[in-house]
Amino acid sequence: MIESHERVEQFKQEIGDMKVRDPATGRDRVFLRVGIALMAVGLGVAIAAYFMSHGTSNPLTQNDAVVLAIAGLTSAVVGGALFLRYSLASFMRFWLARFIYEQQAQTDRVVEKLGR
Amino acid sequence: MNVLELRGIHAAYDRIDVLFGVDLEVPESSVVALLGPNGAGKSTALRVAAGLHAPSSGDVLVAGRRVNGVRPEELARRGLCLIPEGRGIFPNLTVRENLRMMSYTGTSEAVIDERAFLRFPRLKERFTQTAGTLSGGEQQMLAMARGLATDPALLILDELSMGLAPIIVEELYEIVAQVAREGVSILVVEQFASTVLGVADFAAIIVHGRIARAGRPAELRDDLSKAYLGA
Repeated sequence: MIESHERVEQFKQEIGDMKVRDPATGRDRVFLRVGIALMAVGLGVAIAAYFMSHGTSNPLTQNDAVVLAIAGLTSAVVGGALFLRYSLASFMRFWLARFIYEQQAQTDRVVEKLGR
Repeated sequence: MNVLELRGIHAAYDRIDVLFGVDLEVPESSVVALLGPNGAGKSTALRVAAGLHAPSSGDVLVAGRRVNGVRPEELARRGLCLIPEGRGIFPNLTVRENLRMMSYTGTSEAVIDERAFLRFPRLKERFTQTAGTLSGGEQQMLAMARGLATDPALLILDELSMGLAPIIVEELYEIVAQVAREGVSILVVEQFASTVLGVADFAAIIVHGRIARAGRPAELRDDLSKAYLGA
């Protein structure tokens, strides 16, 4: 059997090296902002492509405008999905925290009444 | 340094809250007893500590590292061992086969047997017997032998004395004390406090999901009757 102190040190080392998912919400905020930016940029590009195609009679330029419009709409859809995903996560987290707080407050009230 | 620490743990089953801000520390190489009446939340606290039950809020720290959300098998592989209430042995397998199960950790079968028989020589006599036919005490010995075969750094015991004769319980707690002297940190949950307080370095009393009192065993003896009887 490994020496006890050595075993404890090994345990600490292994726990320290373990990959633990970072519960921080910082990454969520970044994705939320990226989602908003993609939506705005995508819609802007699509609108610009519309005016671009109307401002020319050259079919090649119009084709470019169509490609730009599709790329813009794709970007807006992806951005919308990101926004929905991370804003919902944020809302649910808030809702859960509030729910736990209310449950706790309710239990405290019951315990207090029972104690009287 | 604390090998295990629970900070402000809240836990629930569906919508029923069970733990309300439990704080508990298991220092290195010590035995900590978590005591309390039936339904106080002792086993839930252990399940949270072992990663088997996710807390609603609060932090679980193992060796100073926050491990909320880490899978229990990840913790087990690194040296956290839980011996559950009801022993968790395989009744249809022999003692030998039950011990062989622990070779998943990479420990050789010979070493597993050596560790088991060193502390529990009686298991050697029962080596080829099916575990379900062992006495309650021998089953608990087998459960402990399996846990210790993994060379744990942190051992969590749930209701070691459940359904056992007092003399067997004393024998098992002597082994627990011996394991602790070898440097393994131990968190033990017990409903029957008298024996465990003899080997514990620290104890905490949990009542209605809250730690009502914590300290050295000698300081807590008087509070136990209040906790159990509400006197």
